[in-house]
Amino acid sequence: MKKLLAFLTLGLLLFLAACSSEGGSAKEPGNNGDTSDSAENAEKQEVTFWHSMGGAGQEALNKIVEEYNTSQDGIQVNAEYQGTYDESLTKFNAVAGSDSAPSVIQTFEIGTMSMINSGQITPIQEFVDADSYDMSGLEENITNYYSLDGKFYSMPFNSSTPVMYYNKDAFKAAGLDPETPPATYEEVEEASKKIVESNPEMKGFALQAYGWLWEQLLANQGALLLNNDNGRTDTPTEIGWTEEEGKSILEWVKRMVDDETFANYGTNGDNMMAGFLAGDVSMFLQSSASSRDVIDNAPFEVGIAYLPHPEDKERQGVVIGGASLWMIDGKSEEEQKAAWEFMKYLQTPEIQAEWHVGTGYFAINPGAYEEQVVKDAHAEKPQLQVTVDQLQDTKASYATQGALMDMLPEGRKIMETALEKIYNGGDVDEAYNTAVEQFNVAIEQANAARGE
Amino acid sequence: MAIVMSFMTNKDILTGSMPSTFTLDNYVRAFERFPLFQYLFNSLVVSIVIMIGQLVLSSLAAYAFVFLEFKGRDLLFYLFIATMMVPFEASIIPNFQIIRDLGWIDTYSGLAVPFFATAFGTFLLRQNFKQIPKELREASQIAGMGDFKYYLTVVLPVSRASLVTLGIYGFLSSWNMYLWPLLSTTNDKVRTVQIGLKQLQTQEQLNEWGVIMAGAVIVIIPTLILLFFGQKKLQKGLTEGALK
Amino acid sequence: MSMTNAAQINETTVFDMEPVKKKQRIKSFMKGMAFLLPSIILFSVFLFYPMFRTIYLSFFLTKANGDPTVFVGLENYINMFSSPIFLKSMKSTFLFVLYTVPASVIISLFLSIIANEKLKGIGFFRTMYSSTMGVSVAAASVFWLYLFNPSMGLLNQVLGSFGIEAIGWLTDPKWALLSVSITTIWMNIGFTFLILLGGLQSIDSSLYESADIEGAGYLYKLRRVTIPMLSPTMFFVITVTIINAFQSFGQIDILTQGGPINETNLIVYSIYREAFVNYKFGSASAQAIVLFILILLMTALQFKLGERKVHYQ
Repeated sequence: MKKLLAFLTLGLLLFLAACSSEGGSAKEPGNNGDTSDSAENAEKQEVTFWHSMGGAGQEALNKIVEEYNTSQDGIQVNAEYQGTYDESLTKFNAVAGSDSAPSVIQTFEIGTMSMINSGQITPIQEFVDADSYDMSGLEENITNYYSLDGKFYSMPFNSSTPVMYYNKDAFKAAGLDPETPPATYEEVEEASKKIVESNPEMKGFALQAYGWLWEQLLANQGALLLNNDNGRTDTPTEIGWTEEEGKSILEWVKRMVDDETFANYGTNGDNMMAGFLAGDVSMFLQSSASSRDVIDNAPFEVGIAYLPHPEDKERQGVVIGGASLWMIDGKSEEEQKAAWEFMKYLQTPEIQAEWHVGTGYFAINPGAYEEQVVKDAHAEKPQLQVTVDQLQDTKASYATQGALMDMLPEGRKIMETALEKIYNGGDVDEAYNTAVEQFNVAIEQANAARGE
Repeated sequence: MAIVMSFMTNKDILTGSMPSTFTLDNYVRAFERFPLFQYLFNSLVVSIVIMIGQLVLSSLAAYAFVFLEFKGRDLLFYLFIATMMVPFEASIIPNFQIIRDLGWIDTYSGLAVPFFATAFGTFLLRQNFKQIPKELREASQIAGMGDFKYYLTVVLPVSRASLVTLGIYGFLSSWNMYLWPLLSTTNDKVRTVQIGLKQLQTQEQLNEWGVIMAGAVIVIIPTLILLFFGQKKLQKGLTEGALK
Repeated sequence: MSMTNAAQINETTVFDMEPVKKKQRIKSFMKGMAFLLPSIILFSVFLFYPMFRTIYLSFFLTKANGDPTVFVGLENYINMFSSPIFLKSMKSTFLFVLYTVPASVIISLFLSIIANEKLKGIGFFRTMYSSTMGVSVAAASVFWLYLFNPSMGLLNQVLGSFGIEAIGWLTDPKWALLSVSITTIWMNIGFTFLILLGGLQSIDSSLYESADIEGAGYLYKLRRVTIPMLSPTMFFVITVTIINAFQSFGQIDILTQGGPINETNLIVYSIYREAFVNYKFGSASAQAIVLFILILLMTALQFKLGERKVHYQ
C-alpha cells in the first residue's frame, strides 16, 4: 500500500517537474532539433519552414537547409516536418495569424486556391517586384501553373509529372521493341495483350486509382478539368471536360479489364510499384519523382515513356504536380525578407541540381541541367532525361497549365471511386455519370461555402 | 516478419525475393534520420504522465460512482460514458484551438493533459470496484474510516490488478498516439516516436520499407518489454490479492 | 497543473467535510463532486466544449480554417442523408461492427479461458496473446498491408501454393471490408484478452472449490461460475469494443483509404476526409453528430439489455 502511495506521489511530483521544467525551457530560444542550433547567435534572423517531405526527401531537404545555414550568418532556417500536406495545412489553418505560424510553408499544388483564399499569405509577387527578381529564369511549364493573372502567389519547389514506366526485359520477351514504347491508349492495349500472351503470370498495364493521374490523362488530350479555363479566368462552376474526353479514359481501362490484361492495385501506389518490381505487371503510370527509386530497385531494365494519349488526339503534355512554398502574412518584415532570401537560394542551379539528383523531382531552374552532377546522373540513367523532355515538350495551354480550385482534393476522390468501379467490372456509363454528378455538386458546394 | 524485413535491403523487399544479405543498415539509417533518443524520451515522459493522470482521475471518479450516493450520480455516469462516444476526429480541431489559446503548443502539457480524464478508465474501474464486497465498506464505516482514507487504504490496494491493467493500457495507447502529437507540436523538442515513424515514409516517392520496418521495430520494442513485465507484475499483484 | 491543484483541494475539502454532521444530502453531493471534479473540468474543456462547437458548426458552411461562413440550417444533414455515399458509409459501419465485435469477444474469451488454466509456461502464451495490444495501429496496419500485398503477400502466396487464384484482399469490393475487419479483430484481441483474463483471475477461487466439492463438471463450472462471475467484465468489454469499432480509423487510413468504391469508407473515415482533406467542417460536423447519436443509441440499448443480466457480487 505504502508503495502505491509513494508511487502516486512520485508521479505527481514528476508531472509537476515536467510542467515547470518545460515551462522554463520554452522561454529559451534554444532548440535541440537536428537542423536548428540557434541559441548561439541571437542576432540571426530565424525562419521557420514547415514542410511535408518524409523519407529520402527529408534527408535531401535537411542537407540543403544545413548547407544554407552554414553558408551565411544572417539567417537561420529551421526546417520542421509537419506530416502530410493535408495534416500540415490543417494545422496551418488553425494557427494562422498566431505566433505559432511558420514563416514559410510547403503546400501541394491543389492547395493553391485554398491558400490564396485563406488570406493568410503574402503573394511572392511583392518580393519579386521589390527585388526585381527574374522568374523567367525558371522552367516555363512550372511557372505557368503557379502564376495566376500574371501574378505569382507562391514559389515553385518540388515538382514532378507522371510518366509511364515499363519493363524492357518483359517487352523483349514478348517480342516488342523495348526502345519504342507504346504512345497511345490503343498501343498500350496491344502491348498488354502481347505481354500476357508471352507470360501469363504477368499483367500488361496498371493504373493506380489516383485522381492526379485522371487529371493528367485529361490534360494530355487537351481537355480541361474545370470550366472557365480550368478556373484560371473565373471561378469554375462545373466540370470542364466533355463526355467523349472523360469516357475515353474509362473505356480504355474497361477494355483492358475485359481483356484481363489489367492489374488492379486499387488506390495503393506502393503495391503497384512493388508489383512492377516483382514482375507482376509490365507497365504503369506514376510520378516522375519515383523514377530514381524504381530504376535503382528493379532487377531488370526499366524504360520510361511519355504519358499515353488516345490515338485520335494529339499529345498535349502534362501538368506540373508537386508543391510550392508560401510566404506567410503577418510576420515581421525582416523575417519575410529572410524567408525570401532562402527561397531564392533554393532556386539557384547548384541547389536545384542537388535536389534533382537527390530526389528525382525536377529542377525548377533549367540551368541546373547544365550542372555536372546532373549531366553525370543523366548519363548514368538516360531514362531520367525522358521525364525532363516530356515536361519541356508540353504545349502551353489552359489544359496543361492545370486547374485551380479549392475542391480539387474532393474531386480526386470522386474520380478514384469511378476508376475503382471500372477496375471491378463496373459499367462505364453508370460510373461516369455518377462521378460527373458528384463532381459538379462538389464544385457547387465549394462555391456556396465561400459565400459566393 | 517485420523484424526480418528490417534487416533486408530495399531491393530484396520490393522484388519479394528471399533476403540476399542481412544488414544493420536500416537501423543505422533510422537513427540518423531524426533525433530518435529525444523522441523516445518524449514518448516516455508523455506516456507516463498520461498514465498517472488517468489512474488518479479515473479511480477518484469511479470511487464516487460506486461508493458515494448523491443526487444526479447516474446521470453524471451516463454523461461520462457518453464522452467515450464523441468521435476523436470530430473534436480534434476545437481541441487544437484550445491548446493554442492556452499557449500549450509544443509543450508536454499540451500533449498530455487532454487525455487525463478518461471515461474508459472510469468505466473499467467502476466495473471492478463493484466487485468489491459491500461488507468491507460497512466494516470501515463502523470503524469510522473516512471516504478518502477508505479509497486509499482499501479500494486501491484491492483493485491493484485493474489499476495495473488500466495503467498499461493508458501507457500503450498514449505511446501509440499519432495524430494528436503531430498536430500539437511543431518541432522536434517534444515530439514523440510515432511521428518519427511517419517521417520515414514518403508521399510521392518509393518507400524504403526496410528502414520503415526498422523504425517500427524500434518503436514497438519498449511496449513489448512493458507488456512482458506488466504481465509478470499483473500476476504477482493478483496472487498477493488472493491472500487477503 | 490544474489537475494536481484540484486533487489537492479535493483532499482538503473531503477532510474538512468529515466532522460536519448536518445537511447530509448536500454533504454527500459535495463529496461526490469532489471526487469527480478533476474529471469533469477536463471533460468540459476537451470534450463538452468541442462537442457543442461541433453541433454549432453542423448548421454552417465553413471556410478552410473552420470559420463558419453561411448558415444553412439543416441542409448539411439533408444532403448527408440523401447522399448515397454517406448511406453506404452507414451500412459499411454497421457491417464492420457486426464482423468485428462478436468475433473479437468470442476469440478472446476462448483464449483467456485457456490462458487462465494453471499450466506450465502459460505466461508465455499470455504475453503472446496480449502482445497485439502493444503494437500501434500504424505498425499493425503496415504489417497486415504486407500480408495482404497482392504480389508478395503471404496470404496470396499460401493460396497460390494450393493452386487457388490470388485474391485482391484490399482491392476487391467483396473482400476489402472483411480484410479490414480481420486486421481489426487481430488488433482488438490483445486488449480484450487482457481485460477478460484480469476478470477471470479476480473470480474468487472458493467458488470453484465449492463447485468441486459438489462434484460439478468443467462445463457446468464454466456455465454456472465463470460466465456469471465474468459478466461485469464481459459487459465492459462488449461496450468498449462496440464503441471502438464505430471509431476505427487508423487501419482504414493505412490499408484502404476508404476504397475500393467507398466499400470501407466508415463514418469516422468519412468525417476525417471531409474535415482534413475537403475542409468541409460543416458536413464533417453533421456526420460526427450522427455518429455520436448512433453510438449513443447502441450503448443505451446495450446498457438497457445488458446491465440487467450482469451479475454484481
